Amino acid sequence: MSGITGFQLWWWVILPYLALATFVIGHIWRYRYDQFGWTSRSTELQEKKLLKWGSPIFHYGTFAAISGHIIGILIPERWTAAIGIPETAYRWFSAGAGTLAAVLIIIGVAILAGRRLFVARVRATTSPVDWLALILLAIVIVMGIAETIGVGLLGHGYNYRQSVALWFRGLFAGSPDVRAIAHAPFLYQLHATAAWAVIAVWPFSRLVHAWSAPVWYLWRPFVVYRSRRATRPNEPGTSGRRWRRIGVHY
Amino acid sequence: MARHVENTTAVHDGLLAKTGLVRAARYIQPGEQTPDGRELHRRGGRRAEEFYRERWRHDKIVRSTHGVNCTGSCSWQVYVKDGIITWETQAVDYPSVGPGSPEYEPRGCPRGASFSWYTYSPARVRYPYVRGVLLELFRAAKTANGGDPVAAWAEITADPERAAAYKTARGRGGFVRATWAEVLELVAAAHVHTVAAYGPDRTAGFTVIPAMSMTSYAAGTRFYSLLGGTILSFYDWYADLPPASPQVFGDQTDVPESADWWNASYLIVWGTNLPITRTPDAHFMTEARYRGQKVVVVSPDYSDHTKFADDWLAANPGTDGALAMAMGHVMLTEFYRDRQVPRFESYARTYTDLPFLVTLRQHGEGYVPDHFLTASDLDHDGAAGSGAQAHHEQAHDEQAHDEQAQWKTVVLDEASGEAVVPNGSIGFRWGEEGKGRWNLDLGETRPALSCYGRPGAEAVAVDLPRFDVGDQGGGVLRRGVPAVRVGDRLVTTVFDLVMGHYGVARPGLPGDWPAGYDDADAPYTPAWQEQITSVPASAAARVAREFARNAELSEGRSMIAMGAGTNHWFHSDQIYRTFLSLLMLGGCEGVNGGGWAHYVGQEKVRPLTGWFTLAFAYDWVRPTRHMPATPYWYLVTDQWRYEGAGADVLSSPLGEGRFSGKSVADLNAYAVRQGWIASHPAFDRNPLDLADAADASGKGLDEFVVGELQAGRLRFAACDPDDPANFPRVLTVWRSNLLGSSGKGHEYFLRHLLGADNAVAAEECPPGARPAEVAWHDEAPVGKLDLLVDIDFRMVSTGIYADVVLPTATWYEKHDLSSTDMHPFVHSFNPAIAPPWEARSDFDIFSDLATEVSRLAEGRLGVRRDVMAVPLGHDTPDECAQPGGRALDWAAGECEPVPGVTMPRLVVVERDYPRLAERWRALGPLIDTAGATTKGVTLPVGTEVPWLASRNGTVRGGVADGRPRIDRDDLFCEAILALSGTTNGRLAVAGFEALEERTGVPLADLAHERAGDRITFADTVTQPRAVIASPEWSGAESERRRYSPFTVNVDRLKPWHTLTGRQQFFLDHDWMAELGECLPTYRPPLSIAETFGDQRRGAPDRPQLVARYLTPHSKWSIHSEYQDNLHMLNLFRGGPVIWVNDLDATRIGVADNDWIEAYNRNGVTVARAAVTHRVPPGTVIMYHAIDRHLQMPVSETSGLHGGTDNSLTRVVMKPSHMIGGYAQLSAGFNYYGPTGSQRDELAVIRRRSQEVEF
Repeated sequence: MSGITGFQLWWWVILPYLALATFVIGHIWRYRYDQFGWTSRSTELQEKKLLKWGSPIFHYGTFAAISGHIIGILIPERWTAAIGIPETAYRWFSAGAGTLAAVLIIIGVAILAGRRLFVARVRATTSPVDWLALILLAIVIVMGIAETIGVGLLGHGYNYRQSVALWFRGLFAGSPDVRAIAHAPFLYQLHATAAWAVIAVWPFSRLVHAWSAPVWYLWRPFVVYRSRRATRPNEPGTSGRRWRRIGVHY
Repeated sequence: MARHVENTTAVHDGLLAKTGLVRAARYIQPGEQTPDGRELHRRGGRRAEEFYRERWRHDKIVRSTHGVNCTGSCSWQVYVKDGIITWETQAVDYPSVGPGSPEYEPRGCPRGASFSWYTYSPARVRYPYVRGVLLELFRAAKTANGGDPVAAWAEITADPERAAAYKTARGRGGFVRATWAEVLELVAAAHVHTVAAYGPDRTAGFTVIPAMSMTSYAAGTRFYSLLGGTILSFYDWYADLPPASPQVFGDQTDVPESADWWNASYLIVWGTNLPITRTPDAHFMTEARYRGQKVVVVSPDYSDHTKFADDWLAANPGTDGALAMAMGHVMLTEFYRDRQVPRFESYARTYTDLPFLVTLRQHGEGYVPDHFLTASDLDHDGAAGSGAQAHHEQAHDEQAHDEQAQWKTVVLDEASGEAVVPNGSIGFRWGEEGKGRWNLDLGETRPALSCYGRPGAEAVAVDLPRFDVGDQGGGVLRRGVPAVRVGDRLVTTVFDLVMGHYGVARPGLPGDWPAGYDDADAPYTPAWQEQITSVPASAAARVAREFARNAELSEGRSMIAMGAGTNHWFHSDQIYRTFLSLLMLGGCEGVNGGGWAHYVGQEKVRPLTGWFTLAFAYDWVRPTRHMPATPYWYLVTDQWRYEGAGADVLSSPLGEGRFSGKSVADLNAYAVRQGWIASHPAFDRNPLDLADAADASGKGLDEFVVGELQAGRLRFAACDPDDPANFPRVLTVWRSNLLGSSGKGHEYFLRHLLGADNAVAAEECPPGARPAEVAWHDEAPVGKLDLLVDIDFRMVSTGIYADVVLPTATWYEKHDLSSTDMHPFVHSFNPAIAPPWEARSDFDIFSDLATEVSRLAEGRLGVRRDVMAVPLGHDTPDECAQPGGRALDWAAGECEPVPGVTMPRLVVVERDYPRLAERWRALGPLIDTAGATTKGVTLPVGTEVPWLASRNGTVRGGVADGRPRIDRDDLFCEAILALSGTTNGRLAVAGFEALEERTGVPLADLAHERAGDRITFADTVTQPRAVIASPEWSGAESERRRYSPFTVNVDRLKPWHTLTGRQQFFLDHDWMAELGECLPTYRPPLSIAETFGDQRRGAPDRPQLVARYLTPHSKWSIHSEYQDNLHMLNLFRGGPVIWVNDLDATRIGVADNDWIEAYNRNGVTVARAAVTHRVPPGTVIMYHAIDRHLQMPVSETSGLHGGTDNSLTRVVMKPSHMIGGYAQLSAGFNYYGPTGSQRDELAVIRRRSQEVEF
C-alpha cells in the first residue's frame, strides 16, 4: 500500500468499506424495524400506461447490465483468457451486448424518469430518499452508458478488467489495488463512486425490493399451507405474553 | 363427483409434469410438496398474523356516543389499548323497529368515525390555563389583601388600569398553566364578588343543545340556577328554532324520527341537506324510493342532496316562501275551490283554525282582518241571527260570566248559522270550568269553513299587505272575502281570508284577482313566483299538484323536510309558515309519513321532565333565569348601536305605525316591560338588594317594585345596556364555541364584550337614528366582561379569547345521556378512559366550582333573597294574561302595570350560597310537593324519590340530609331517567292521566303497554333503549308505530297549545298585524344594501364581487366533530374555503384555490376560493364554524388575524319574535324569542395578495 495518498486511501478503500458496512447493517436494520415499509413503492396505481412499458424494459436492461458487470468485473481476465477468449473478442462482445443493454436501459429510464418528473401524481409519491437513490442511479447509468457506448463501442476502448476490476475484486479479497483505480479514467472513477453511493443508500430506499423479487413463484407449488408449530398454549386471556423478569423484552 | 375430482387432478398432474421446475424445487425448498405438486406444506412462518391479531386485540371496548352538536346519537364502540383510545367503530346494537321497515342500522358517519383523533390532538386542552397577566395581577392582589381572593378580584376589576391590562390581552396568547386549586379559587372569587357587588344575574352561563350530553349541560345550568345566574338559550340564538312552530303549533319543535320518512310517499327536501347533515338517517330516504316515494329537492345550489332528486327546483336563495305561496295557490285552487276533497275539508275543520271567525275592521275604503272573534264578543241576546237554541243560550249565559271568554275562539255552525264556541281553545286550558273540555271534539257542530254562499253573506273588500314590491316597504293587495255579521261585527273565516290572500278567485267577490296561473303580475300565482325564484311556473304547479294529490290518495303521507337553508333567514318564520300551510291544507300533520320534518339543531331531550327539573334545580328553587340569547348578545355586544334603520322599515303598509320612531332595541325594552320576553339582568339594581329594599319598605314586593319603576328610581336593565351596573360580569361557556361558531356579530363581541382587537368597520347610528327610549352613551363601553371562562377540550376561538380555560373530558371520557329526535332511543356516554392529563368532566368541574363558591360565600354572601322578573310563560296560566293580542304600554298609561299581567311576574326566592354545593349534589325536596312539569303537564313524582334514594344512596347531614345523591355523573343520569315519562312507564301513565282530566279524552292507554317499564342508566349503558310514549311529546309511539309529531292530537283530539287549540294559519296579535304577517306570506330577504349602503371598500376599479353570503353546514365538520380534525381536513383542502361561482370568479380575476378576502361593514375573513359551477352566480358559500385558529391568515383589509365565518354577520332581531303574553306567542326557554338569523347578509369578495402570513 505504499505510494498512495491519504485521499486515495480514503476515497478508494475506506469509503467503499463504509458503503458495504452500511449496506449490510442497513438491511438488517430495515428488515427488523421496517418490514412493512419493505417495498418497491410501486406507483402503478398512480400511472399505468407508461409504467407498463418502461418498467420491464428498464428492468430487463438492468439485468443484462448486471450480468455484464459480473462477467467484466467479477470474473478475472485470466480466466477468460484461459478458456481462449482474447481481450479483443471480449471487448467487442462486451461493447455489443453492453450496448444492447444500454439501449434498453436508455429507453426504460427515459420512460420512467419522464413519468416520475412529469406525472404529478407519481412525483407526489416520491420521498426524498428515493430522489437521492434515483439520482445516484441515474449518474451510474449515464456513466455506464458513456463507458459502454462512448468508450467501448465508438471509442478506443479501455481495458477496465486490468484496472477497475482488480481494485473491485481486491476489496472483497481484503487487498484492494488502489493504484489500479486511482489511475483509471475519470469516467470510470465517477461510475464506481456513484455505484458505492447507491450501495450505501440501497437499504434505506425502495431498492430493497430487489431482494424480494418473487422469483420463487417460478417453482413454488400453487398453494402453500403453513401449519402452526407445536407450542405451549398461551396463558388464558393473554396474547402469549407471559410473566417475565423485568427488563426482558417480549 | 369423485370422477370429476379425479379428472381435475389428472389435468393438474399433466400440467405440472411439464413444469419440472416445481418438481425439482422440492429438494431445495423448505416444506413438503404433495405428490401432485400443487401444494406445499410448511410449518411455522405465521408470525405476520400477529400483526392483525394484535391490531384487533384490545384491553377494553366501551360503548359510547358523540355529544353536543350532532343529532345522530349513534352508538359507537370505543377501543382502548394500553390505556390509549385507538379508534371507534359503529356498535350496531339498536333495537329493531320491527318488520315492514328498514332498521336504524347502520348509524354513523366519517365525522363520528374520526372523533377519537381529538383525544390526543394538538388542540387538546390538557391543563387549566389562565392568561399570565391576569394570574400575576390576581396573585399580587391576593397577597396585598391578606390572602382574600374575593377582595383581590374586587380590587383588580375596580382598577381601570389593571382591568384594561388583562382585557386588552385577550386573544393575544400568553396563557400559563395554573393548578386546579388556584384557578377554581379565581373563578369562584369572581362569581362571589359579582353576586355581592352587582347581583347574581350579572353572571351568565352559555351552553348548548342538551340532548347530546344532558348531564354535562345540566351540571353547569344547575350551578347557575342555584346561584341565580342567567342561563342563555341556544336554539333561537342559532336560528335553528323555527319560530313558525310556536306560531302555528304552539310547540317548540316536534318532528318525526327518520324511520318515519319510510312511510312518506312524497317527500320535498327543502333546505336541509339530508345526506350531509343527517348522514346516519339518510338511508331511510334512499330506501323509501324503492317503495315508490318521490323526492323533490328545492335548493339553490347543486348540493349533495340534489342528486337524490326526481325533481330539482333551484329556487333563488331566500325566495322559498314565494314558491310555497304559489304552491298553496295551486292547492287551494284545485283541491279546495274547483274540487272539494272530503278528507282535506274535515281535517281543516277539526285540526286547523281555518273555520274560526275573524273580525274585519274598516280601513280606508276597504277592510282589514282584525282579531279572532271570541266568546266575550258574543252578547247574551244571541249573536248570530235568530233561532238560537236552548243549549246555545245556556252556553252564552255561561260565556258572559266566564273570565276565560276572551280566550275562547268562535266558529260558525254550518247548519244553523249560529256562532258556536267549540271546545279546545286556550280558554278551556287553564280555568276550572274548562276541565274535561280542552279537546277538539266538535260534537254536533260542523264548523263552516267559509261564509261564501251563506245566507246573509256580504262580499267585502279586504286590503292585505304584499312585500314582493317596493323594496322593504311592500304594497297593498285588494282582495275580497265573504263576510257575515255576528252581532254588530262583520266577520269572516280564516279560510276565506286565506283564499283571498292566496289569490284564489271566487265569483262575486270584489278586488283584484289573478287571471290564471300564468298571470305573472298578481300574487301568488305560479307565474308570479317564477320571476322571483326562477323556478318554472309549470314545475311549481306540477309539484304542488302532485304533493296534494298524493296527500289525498295516501291520506296525508306527503312530507316536507326543511332546515337551515330555509330557516336561517330573517323572515324564516314566514318561509316556514308558507310550508306548513301546504301541509295543513293537505291534512298531513299528525300523520305517519306526513307533515313537517324540521332538521336543523332540533335536538330532542326525550327524558325531558327529569332533565329539565334537575338541570334548572327545580327540585330546590323555581324558577330560574332563562334568557333568550339573541337579545342578550344584541345588547351586551352593543350591536344595537350599529342599526342602519329604525324598526318601522319592517312595518306593513297597512300597519298603524306602532314601530315608527323606534329602534329594535326600543321594541325589546318595551317587550321586556310588558312581560313578553325575558331580560336578565332585569333591573339596574342588584336583585338581592332589591329584595332587601322591598322588605325594608314594608310594602309588598309587587307594590314596591311597581312604585320604584313608576318613580323612575328603578329601571329595566334593557333600557340602558351600556350602564356599567347592567354589564354582564362573568360568563362561563362550556360545551360550545360561542366566539368561533355561533357568535353572530363576532367582531362586535370582540370589541364591546371583550375589549379585544377587532375588525368592525361599521359606523354607529347617527344622532337622528338612535333609539328613542334606550339610553345612548356617547362613548360605547369596551371590555364589559370581567371574566370569560371557557370549558372545552379544544383550544379554539372561545378559549383563545377567554381569561381562563379549563380542560374538560371528551365524549369518550365521561358518563352522560344522549337522545335525539332522529331515532326513538336513549343511550349513554361511557368513559373509555379517565380524562387524560389534568382534564376533568364538565360535571366534576361544576361540582368543584360549586364547592369553591360555597366556601368563599361563607361569611360573604350568606342566605339572601333574590327578586326575579319572570316573563309571561307559555304553557302556564300566564299565557292568558293579555287578551286579544293587544300591544298596550303601561309606561304610556295605556294600562296598569300589574306584575304577572301587564308586566313580568315578580318572584322572590331564597339563595343559600354557603349551601349551594350541598344543594347541587342532592335531589331537592321541592319535587316531592310540586312534582315536575313539562309543557303544562305535571308528572306526579312519588315513588321515584325513595327508589332513587335506595338506588343512588342518600346524603348524610347538612341541608340535604336524607335526600337521594346525584353527585356523580352516572347517579345524575339515573335521576334524569327516573323522573321522566319517556323512560319511566309509571310517570308516563300518570302524566297522561293528569292530561285526561283536562282534555276529557282517553290518553293513558298510549302508555299502558309499557306502564311497568323503567329504563335505568345501566340499561342505557348496555344498549340504546326505545323510549315510552309520554305526554312530554305529541306523538304516539310503540314498537308498531314510528314517532311522528301531533299524532296524539289528530288521533285523540288533544288540542295544540295554541290560542284556538288548532294549528293556526292566522295570528292576530297587534304586532303581527303591524308587520303584515297575520297570514303566511312571502317576504324577501332583507335589503342590506338599501339599509346600510354599498359594502365595497378601497379602490373603485379593483374588481369586487358583492354576493349573497350563505353559511351552510359542512360535509367535513358538522356534526359530531369540528373542522380542525386532521382526518376531515385531509378530505377537502383543509382550511377556510369560500365557494364562488365560476363566472363570478372570472369577473373578479379569481382562479380556483386563490386566496381571497370576504368582508363587509361587520368584519373580514380570509379564505381560499373554491371555484365551482354548482353554486349559482351572485351567491357565495362559506361553511359554518370556520374557526380562526386553523390556517387563517392575516387579513390585508383589517391587518388582523383573519376572522370566522361570523365575522361578516350581525344580529338582526325581528320584532314579532318578541311578542309575549298571548297564548302560543308567549315566552319559553328556547321556545320563542328572536332568532340569530344570518343568511340575509351580503359579502364583498376580492382577490388578495397570494403571499399570506399566519
